[in-house]
Amino acid sequence: MSAYEYDVVVVGGGVSGITAALTLAEKGLKVALISKGDPVCCLSTGCVDVMTGEGDPWQKIGELPAGHPYVKAGDDALRDGLVFFLRIMEEQGLPYVGSLTENRPIITPIGTVKHTCLVPVTMAASDLAKSERLHVVSFKGIKDFYPSYLTNGISRSSFSVFDAGISTTLGIASRFEDEGFLGRFISWLQDTENPHDRIAVPAVLGLRDPVKVMERISKAMGRPVFEIPTLPPSIPGLRLFRALKGALQAKGGHLYWGKGVSSIERQGSEIEAVTLATAGRAARVQGRAFILATGSFVSGGLYAGRDAVRETVFGLPVFVPGERREWFHAQFFTPGHAIEKAGIVVDDCFRPAGGKLKNLYVCGSILAESEVMKNQCGHGLAIATGVAAARMCARGLA
Amino acid sequence: MIRTDVIIIGGGATGCGIARDLALRGVPHCLVEKGDFANGATGACHGLLHSGGRYVVNDKEAASECISENAILRKIAQKCVEKTGGLFVRLPGDSKRYRDAFLKNCEEVGIATTVLSPTRALDLVPELNPAIEEAISVPDCSIDPFRLCMLNAYTSRRKGGDILIHHRVIGVVREKGVCVGVTVEDRSSSEVKEIRGKVIINASGAWGDAVARMGGSGVPMTLSKGSLIIANHRLTNLVVNRLRPPSDGDIIVPNEAVCLAGTTSVTVDDPDSIEVDPREVDLVATQAEQMIPRFGTTRLIRAYTGVRPLLKADSPDSRNISRGFRIIDHENGMISIMGGKLSTYRLMAEKTVDAVMGKFGTKARCRTAELPLDGQDELTGYPLSKRLKSIDSIVCECELVDRETVENTINSLGTGYIGDIQHRTRLGMGPCQGGFCTYRALGIMQETGRMSPTESIETLKAFLQRRFRGIRPALWGDQLREEQLVESIYLGILNMGNRP
Repeated sequence: MSAYEYDVVVVGGGVSGITAALTLAEKGLKVALISKGDPVCCLSTGCVDVMTGEGDPWQKIGELPAGHPYVKAGDDALRDGLVFFLRIMEEQGLPYVGSLTENRPIITPIGTVKHTCLVPVTMAASDLAKSERLHVVSFKGIKDFYPSYLTNGISRSSFSVFDAGISTTLGIASRFEDEGFLGRFISWLQDTENPHDRIAVPAVLGLRDPVKVMERISKAMGRPVFEIPTLPPSIPGLRLFRALKGALQAKGGHLYWGKGVSSIERQGSEIEAVTLATAGRAARVQGRAFILATGSFVSGGLYAGRDAVRETVFGLPVFVPGERREWFHAQFFTPGHAIEKAGIVVDDCFRPAGGKLKNLYVCGSILAESEVMKNQCGHGLAIATGVAAARMCARGLA
Repeated sequence: MIRTDVIIIGGGATGCGIARDLALRGVPHCLVEKGDFANGATGACHGLLHSGGRYVVNDKEAASECISENAILRKIAQKCVEKTGGLFVRLPGDSKRYRDAFLKNCEEVGIATTVLSPTRALDLVPELNPAIEEAISVPDCSIDPFRLCMLNAYTSRRKGGDILIHHRVIGVVREKGVCVGVTVEDRSSSEVKEIRGKVIINASGAWGDAVARMGGSGVPMTLSKGSLIIANHRLTNLVVNRLRPPSDGDIIVPNEAVCLAGTTSVTVDDPDSIEVDPREVDLVATQAEQMIPRFGTTRLIRAYTGVRPLLKADSPDSRNISRGFRIIDHENGMISIMGGKLSTYRLMAEKTVDAVMGKFGTKARCRTAELPLDGQDELTGYPLSKRLKSIDSIVCECELVDRETVENTINSLGTGYIGDIQHRTRLGMGPCQGGFCTYRALGIMQETGRMSPTESIETLKAFLQRRFRGIRPALWGDQLREEQLVESIYLGILNMGNRP
């Protein structure tokens, strides 16, 4: 067995885990990050939702119950985390924009408006004024994107369809990396498009440098261009993940990718090491502290059996809101199912409540009471608790 | 106004079977159904073509009807019957006396049985509980109730019968106390139509009493809710029954790539407001896993429930044809056919039409048992070879339904109902239960101009709510995980949730 030693070992490669790892790496700690695979943020819009709805997200955070992870993390962790996130994304060439105190609109694939906090620059021009005319570009055969929903929902709009020769979002995004393809797209658009004020495209404008692609189109057409986030697989989600992962690698974080934790070594009230299930021989990863950031049910951090919910890495006790038949209420479109509260209860230091484990910290949507869907606070909560848990962890190690 | 001889209310197996029978006897008729075919109990059953074994100990007459209809349907409905065979398994503690009575009565009724050792039974169904004492094989089959209805309706249409689905009966027209017609509402256009006929056949199952009342009579009924669950794997290739008196969760039926287990029995008042209770799911799953242990750990994709329309035992004006079903002549121009089961739908139709012919004083002979169902070649479903034809434009990834198939179905039916596409192509029948593909099918539907984008989104919302109703009682494990992903798409990315 190979053995490695770190200051901190983070389990979970989503937004919260990478944020925590980055925070610690910037403090000069030796950090490892273990992930079973690409995180669920690849399925997200790529936008940083802090708190649902229009207006100032802080106002709604102020109304959250005391047990909510945002409240535990404190305003500083969220504010500092968002500023940190903006800086990291700038460094990675995937700049985000947005005000920390005022949610901004993006347009959904069915033509409705959704409010979120930080958006990739490629969605910056989504703030369409009522008087403006919009042209939507779609791609032949693309699934999950029906431009007539958009033109129906947005007055003074039209659409046209480009044949990219491939119909998957990932395939089209890859083609936009190619100069020739981009050139053909632009000349097609110049030929077909009528004078409109803005141009919307499903979020497929390249993988590595979407800003360049957007700017090229925008410049050629002489008007703003913006992306509309699509259903999974989501290219902006994938870009977000790749940028975060790249940042961690650039700051010296060590990645164990595609590997799950197969066993835990515990010494009294401390986790000493984890063993990874790898092809070939097993690897033992030792840490002075550990951070659990495996997410909730979708990402597999929690698993709901018929009678009980378990935490899948350390076997931590899970807070479960009542019996199974109470987990979901009857209305699909009314957010707030009780099961959203399920998760790990932590103390003020983001360690599992009960004091049995002294060097394990928990962050992200696996935290009890987070109600991510109801609050629409996914990446915001991941960032705030990632920073908060990392700070507590650094303090514990000092 | 439509004028015909016989008006049939109800597009379940019985109603569709009556339509075919009338068509083959040359009687003009019109069938009205408020939803799609198999909307009630027909579509919410096990999809089991009984050998009769289930009834043989307590009700030999019903068992005898089952085995003779079983033989007929194997012949005439080859494309909707899968000749799986079935087993009755005896677990430790199950009565040996029941087993002896079972074998004796099967012999008397003519149900072919073979007693199998546990080893032999496990060869046939490797997932069986290895603790079984023995198994008895019977000629059970699985049957596709929806396709059965469509094929019966196909003959009717071909012979000039009117089949109106998505038409709700809103009133019965009476003259001097006699039922002479019905008024129906076309649910897609809200247009009200009148249909006049000489006889009205009430084949509306759980809604039978309500329909009979509109005609000035009534049918005393007991409504019994039965709930089933669908496991995401075909854990058995044979129907598996528990060898004991009929009770909850004692039958598992393979169906295409999945298998179904049920049922429960709970008395209810209103057939329009029934829900599966999660406790019923637990009950059925617990019973099913006694026969097939892996049923308890396999992902459940959905639960569903239907209402058995049982006749109250001693209704004074009923004519007892058999213990399985009854034909009631209300002597006001309406005839109700009540009770029975999917396996004997053809016999029920035959007896009902015989009663109608008696009224008309004509003697055309029933031929439904001799002639194979028409249209079996056209409506064969989608074998894998067809489904993989255009892999690039797959709309439903679980069941491999491509865009062309969806468009063809929309255009050939002229339908604005998503359920019509799902029933005919199996779109949305897989593990995600339409969570991803229904959005696409509706996107295509509005692109074909069949509905406006706004209507399409409204339809999507209604579908997602209906879908959730089926999924919610059985949410744990991987299905819960996927459900939260589906939720994150519609409530998150598309922001369709209700906000306070």
